[in-house]
Amino acid sequence: MSEHIQAALERPSLIAFVVLFLCGFFVMTTNSNMIKKLIGIYLLQTSVLLLLVTIGVKQNAASVPILTEKHIESPETIAPAAYVNPLPHVLTLTAIVVQVATLGVSLALVAAIYRKYGSLDENEVLQRIE
Amino acid sequence: MRDQLPVILFLVPFATAICLPMVGLKAHGWCRPMALVSLLVMFVLAVGNLLLVLKHGEQSYGFAGWSASASPPLGIVWVNDALASVMMVTISFLASLCLLYSGPLSPATEKPRIVPYYALILLLISALTGIVFAGDIFNVFVFLEVAALSAYALVALAGGRALIAAFRYLILGTLGSTFYLLGVVFFYATTGTLNMEDICQQFTKNPELLHSKAVVGGMAFLFLGLGIKMALFPLHAWLPGAYTHAPDAVSPLLAGLMTKVALYGCVRVLFWGLAAGAQTEQLPALTLLGGLGMVAALAGSLLALAQQELKRMFAYGGISHIGLILIGVSQANQTAFAGSMFYLMNDAIMQAGLFFIAGAAIQHHGARTVADLSRLRRAPWLVTAFIALALSMIGIPPTGGFFGKWHIILGCLEAENYLAVTAIVVSTLLTMAYFQRLFLSMFGHREVVPDSAAGALAPSTKLAVGLTALLVVVLGLCSEPLISIFRETAAGVGL
Amino acid sequence: MIEAHDSLIVRSAGKLLIPLSQLFALYVLFFGQYGPGGGFAGGVILGTSFLLAVLVLGPQAPPCRLAHQLEHGDGIGLMIFVGVGGLCLIGGGTFLDYSNLQIPGWNDEERRSLGIVLTQIGVAADIAVTALSIVFSLGQHHSQEASHE
Repeated sequence: MSEHIQAALERPSLIAFVVLFLCGFFVMTTNSNMIKKLIGIYLLQTSVLLLLVTIGVKQNAASVPILTEKHIESPETIAPAAYVNPLPHVLTLTAIVVQVATLGVSLALVAAIYRKYGSLDENEVLQRIE
Repeated sequence: MRDQLPVILFLVPFATAICLPMVGLKAHGWCRPMALVSLLVMFVLAVGNLLLVLKHGEQSYGFAGWSASASPPLGIVWVNDALASVMMVTISFLASLCLLYSGPLSPATEKPRIVPYYALILLLISALTGIVFAGDIFNVFVFLEVAALSAYALVALAGGRALIAAFRYLILGTLGSTFYLLGVVFFYATTGTLNMEDICQQFTKNPELLHSKAVVGGMAFLFLGLGIKMALFPLHAWLPGAYTHAPDAVSPLLAGLMTKVALYGCVRVLFWGLAAGAQTEQLPALTLLGGLGMVAALAGSLLALAQQELKRMFAYGGISHIGLILIGVSQANQTAFAGSMFYLMNDAIMQAGLFFIAGAAIQHHGARTVADLSRLRRAPWLVTAFIALALSMIGIPPTGGFFGKWHIILGCLEAENYLAVTAIVVSTLLTMAYFQRLFLSMFGHREVVPDSAAGALAPSTKLAVGLTALLVVVLGLCSEPLISIFRETAAGVGL
Repeated sequence: MIEAHDSLIVRSAGKLLIPLSQLFALYVLFFGQYGPGGGFAGGVILGTSFLLAVLVLGPQAPPCRLAHQLEHGDGIGLMIFVGVGGLCLIGGGTFLDYSNLQIPGWNDEERRSLGIVLTQIGVAADIAVTALSIVFSLGQHHSQEASHE
């Protein structure tokens, strides 16, 4: 048991991910205000993106993979371990765009609900329907 | 150009969707013909693609010049095999039929709404094309999200109660996508690749990866996310509200395609990505999915029995059929796989047909609930189509539903899973019970409730309803070639 | 109801900073070829500069009218992107394989570089218009205006 705790404490990014994920999930499920639910979903998605970015990190201060003239002249000096993995960053970019689009659609929906029913609270809106 | 067919199939609805806002500014009367023409062109190309794939075998399409046959493949790869081509034909056919049907019922009668309606439908179809062809798990995520966003907006077009239903759909759907992305992250962290074929190879090379906690957790999150998207029983809460309150012209499209393509994605990840690794000790994914499928099949038909509104009843029927298809998929043998894929095709057409009838009943006869069904007694097209679709839903020969269920049951018997056979039989009996209820209400009452607005059906509605009913019978009669195609696909994966 | 900001200081600072931020957005867009940046960041900065114009200078000012015109250009960015991909298809390769852009006299690397720049411009245009339309659709004032047109 203690070696599990030890292993978890050595990876602070994973602890941060779990804390943010659970916070977002809690906020989303327990609030009845629709905007707060959206904040919870945003937090949920951001925590997953945090995990995705921290997976690509390498040790010994790996730097950004950008091709300079020095590399073009002598391609054998390019060592893969010295550059951060760019694929998780690309995946994160795509997921951020998806997140923003989802936020846009959801805010437009909430605005339409507010215009029609005059309230942002889910329980009140359900009452006004009946 | 023949090799570029997958991308052309994706680009045809997508390019039309992009041009629609510009066109809609000047002449919004052109939007509907443009959308219809692009979907019909897509259908013709999809049939051509199917014939090509049947003749030449499976093809891979590598984007941006990165070779698809390199090992490991470095770029984005789209897989164009027989299963994908059959799904493409189904999707494009259903989409054009739904657009034809929606003419007189369109929610887009005022000017500001015409362009968004057709653009959203075309975007939805192009995103579903992306999911069908996708060869790596991240592509599935992106297109799943695009399709889901279009679906949320399409459901909300009806206004009123549909807004709440769309919001609930949005919350649950986004939760599902987030879980799916988490699963993809776990898989990427352990195998270092996103390509489904490559993941499969990594697992065969290092079998101990399969038992690591990361992969088991990843599988759990992946299937949880896909389960929300395909409305697997405990996670189905968004479906009845969304399909009932969506505009009548949009419900057939969503009901026929959304959950079925999500299930197709699940099948792809299970058999092409995980293959033999789907059954581990910590997370026996196939057994779990099979168990949940049994529960879904029973619960869906039970809940359908208790409903009063027509569209709600058909929505719950759809949930039970997803469970049925999952039972077939989880048996992991060729017969059950072929039966479940054939049933998936049939279910898409049956669900669309049922919602066509429900929409026409609401529009022309004002019949929203089961009790109002006796108004339909004088409508020959609707009644005949309803009888044909009911026979197929229950599973009576010679309709397609019978052959699908038959092969699933044969597969379960082959795998000696008698519990699954019992679940399928009980679910069929329950389906018969709720259709019995509908028939009683339609024909049983002595006095005829006078029709409030019994206009003649528009020819496009007659065409849509008649074609689905005819297709369900034709598919049943021509089931052999399709089942053999699916069997070959299953053999190719190693089942 | 959005009105022009009361304070003269804010309005004058806005008149200086908004064109500067648009220039910076274009810089970020083209610098993406050689360093961090590119279409997404450039598009967001471009869209935000128009929003700043609406918030600071009010809905009647010329930049705001330009923003309303831009709101109609929903599909332009995606059309550029798909157009470039389609040109690659027509030129004989797979989708987005930039080496098939048929430009006489250029070699492979220059074609790929041009292809990437064009797609990033398309992405930036699309994101700017999307950011604008999301915020405009949430404002009741603007949507009432739009429905009366």
